[in-house]
Amino acid sequence: MLRAEINELLTQTGPGTPMGEMFRQYWLPAMLAEELPDDDCPPVRVKLLSERMVAFRDSDGRYGLIDEFCAHRGASLWFGRNEGSGLRCPYHGWKYDVTGQAIEVPSEPDNSTFCSHVKLTSYPLIKIGDLLWTYMGDPEKQPPLPEYEFATVPADQTYTSKRWQECNWLQAFEGGIDSSHVSFLHSGGLKTDPLFKGAKGNQYNMDDLKPYFEVADAEGGLFVGARRNAEADTYYWRITPWVMPCFTMVPPRGDHPVHGHFWIPIDDENCWTYSFDYHPVRPLSGDEVQAMRDGHGVHSANIPGTFRPMANKDNDYLIDREAQRRGDTYSGVKGIAMQDASLQESMGPIVDRSKEMLVSADTGIIKARQKLKKAIEALRDKGITPPGVDPAHHRVRSAAVVLPRDASFVEACRDDLSVREGVRQSSV
Amino acid sequence: MTEFRGERSDGGIASSRPILGSSCARATTAAEMRYRIDRPIRGRWGARIIALDPDAGEIVARIAENPWGSARFYTLAASVAEVGDGGSESVTLRPVGAAANGHRPSLLDELDEADIVVMVATTGTDHAAATIIGAACTVRAIMTAGLVIGEYVEVAETVAAIRPHARVIMVSGDEHDVIDVLTALRA
Repeated sequence: MLRAEINELLTQTGPGTPMGEMFRQYWLPAMLAEELPDDDCPPVRVKLLSERMVAFRDSDGRYGLIDEFCAHRGASLWFGRNEGSGLRCPYHGWKYDVTGQAIEVPSEPDNSTFCSHVKLTSYPLIKIGDLLWTYMGDPEKQPPLPEYEFATVPADQTYTSKRWQECNWLQAFEGGIDSSHVSFLHSGGLKTDPLFKGAKGNQYNMDDLKPYFEVADAEGGLFVGARRNAEADTYYWRITPWVMPCFTMVPPRGDHPVHGHFWIPIDDENCWTYSFDYHPVRPLSGDEVQAMRDGHGVHSANIPGTFRPMANKDNDYLIDREAQRRGDTYSGVKGIAMQDASLQESMGPIVDRSKEMLVSADTGIIKARQKLKKAIEALRDKGITPPGVDPAHHRVRSAAVVLPRDASFVEACRDDLSVREGVRQSSV
Repeated sequence: MTEFRGERSDGGIASSRPILGSSCARATTAAEMRYRIDRPIRGRWGARIIALDPDAGEIVARIAENPWGSARFYTLAASVAEVGDGGSESVTLRPVGAAANGHRPSLLDELDEADIVVMVATTGTDHAAATIIGAACTVRAIMTAGLVIGEYVEVAETVAAIRPHARVIMVSGDEHDVIDVLTALRA
């Protein structure tokens, strides 16, 4: 249960809101790099944190993320002509560079200085890995660039997809630190999904449906450990890191690539789910990449040309009651991603947390909300930079390990939970 | 309402029928979610919060002063040196907060109507008490949680002692976390 005013505090991310101000302290994924594949390619509409913008890649390969609407009459620059190192509004020919600076206003005299005074709001847009990242906060406080491992390994070791999720970011994110749903909702996938199946740890998952949980603070957020019986004298631990505000990694399975997510608010009732798979020490195989493109693992099969999943709320997520009855899928919805999204979206655009009835297995979620609230208040009241801004906090890993029964995962897995160049993930 | 036209297997058009917003994709809109039944669910009725050491006792005493539902708060009336033959009988509790009345109930009395036991600990925790409380809860199918307050390196021994007996453990440097957890659990 969460009081209504705290629910509002955590879920509203528009300009001027406390949570929105906190999101604006971080570099955030703004779009996939493949959305702007070439110099002078068509611009793309982007809405983040309830701000409408347009992204483009100019003739010189520079990326820009600027106010969507022309300063002149408010026409959308999505209709613009991307040419000659700038984006030109087709209505009256005003042209802007990647910083939002007007560089041509054709109606003014040739030597007029008018356009030097016209500048649209713009944010930096930088390619790291498969993503274009932006920072929407105070330019004076721009932090160092992100160093998440999935984005910094060689290109052939990583793959990222994106889908539109039709609900607030927080309820989507909370699924990412909720380990207790895996043995139910995703149980079918553990047996059949090409990016999950075959790991010894899967059997431990299926044999023990009542995990114990341990939640520990981390510098950038939390580690949530789920412990299940393994052998007579050992436990199987699955450890999920959360880096504030919205990055999580799923504990790995066997030698499958490691996956994780970012949940980025589009507005208060929609978010982008970025899902990645990477391997720290080897290229992804052709079969693995094809499985990811086909929507297996944490990825989704999207309607071609869009980021909307083919299974969505307009078609009841293509629920298959026979598959549910047979146990092929636990909920009848196909695919890990849409199994999560279907239920999270069913809660409504912003779930009313004053009505929920949490249990102690939800302690990770309770703690995460508390950390978010404290960080918001510390930023708002004292200007304290929140956890997760420092790139050192990004260099975490998830882990799936078997430990002696008396071992603490925090101590035993200190190395496993950190990025170690050239060392594979710790996985069973 | 939207209109649905279904195609019959013989190629004809089935009768049109209206589809309510609550029975189609619009069921998840904010407008439709307003119709979620708004009556309270009874939920949790028996949270028992037990401090396992003196510092934890001070924390629990402070927290007990807040307004709570049916939660009851305790410290250990006496330390339990070892897990002996006395079993559950060897743990007696001292109620704190609103329930404090000088009475020293036994652990088993207080577990009668419990649905969760939250053990709060810092350092110097009574390991034997944790073992006995955990075992008594397991036998009675009562959920257990351990909230350990302190920096991890300082409370690692406590965490190790509680781990076998708590289905959930949270380690935190902030005692306010206890309030947040109990609030979230509707204690």
